[in-house]
Amino acid sequence: MQLSAASELERAIRPDVAVAQDFEALVQLYRPKVFRFALASLRDLDTAESVTQDCFLRAYQARDGFRQDCSTQTWLMRIAVNLIRDQIRNRRFQFWRRASLTAKPADVAGHGIADRARSPEAQALLNEQVAAVWEAAGKLPERQRTVFLLRFVEDLDLLEIACATGMKEGTVKTHLFRALRAVRVRLGGVA
Amino acid sequence: MTHLSSEHLSECILGQPDRRIAGHLENCPACRAELGNFREALSGFRGAVRCWSQNQAHVALAVPRPSESRSWSASHQLALALLLAGVCILASIVWRGGENAPAGDAVLLNQVDAQVSRAVPSSMEPLMKLVAQE
Repeated sequence: MQLSAASELERAIRPDVAVAQDFEALVQLYRPKVFRFALASLRDLDTAESVTQDCFLRAYQARDGFRQDCSTQTWLMRIAVNLIRDQIRNRRFQFWRRASLTAKPADVAGHGIADRARSPEAQALLNEQVAAVWEAAGKLPERQRTVFLLRFVEDLDLLEIACATGMKEGTVKTHLFRALRAVRVRLGGVA
Repeated sequence: MTHLSSEHLSECILGQPDRRIAGHLENCPACRAELGNFREALSGFRGAVRCWSQNQAHVALAVPRPSESRSWSASHQLALALLLAGVCILASIVWRGGENAPAGDAVLLNQVDAQVSRAVPSSMEPLMKLVAQE
């Protein structure tokens, strides 16, 4: 009798355990991507950490509502995009954070992957270009920056970006064109 | 066809160039170099951001809950600045009060001098008038 009760209890618990284990695997798989996108968007380690945690918390709470009309990565990015937007709006009033905690172009450019085949001069030039792209991306309007990072850091295609941002594909393309033009101008090209 | 515009280059970057643009690229070394440089800069940016993000993730794991300490220190700094401002305002008020003190002191000293310089106490002054009349 006791055994039967225990097995019933186990059956009742097991689905939750399985979901938790699946979700843990999902966190392991996508956490670096969500964190990277949040960090590149907000340029602040603490806020990016906080957004990443919130993103998975919300995903866990809303997992039953996920209709699988897009990939899991796109779904998570959609949550992250909304959280980042909220953060940016809140941060407008936190002037002391804006001033002191944002990453500088040199912080990022120094992390460029060194290519042995490239001469030191060419590597230095590339570092300068990376710093220029970083600076230009930071000055883009919020939507342009979001689509730019999703395309050129996260490698999402136009449809995935449209799904993650809730924009139409044509709108995504327009934002991307404008972002690329601004970046190219910063790199010294003619618009 | 003149050199490729920014929109044409963007189309190439996004991987959707039409035949005309593709044909121009084949025949124009300048545009090909321009596109190559642009692609390389974007690719370098991708690599740098990914690498930087990985390093930052390690930093975040190595330092537990840095957000609280940072936000606390920010709020502490703000509180300290407000406290200092308050002390400065208070000090200036006290100092200005001190500047007015000599005037008050002078009035009091004059009153004391007037009292001391009397020949007789004020209660005996009517008697002194009688003596003076005699």
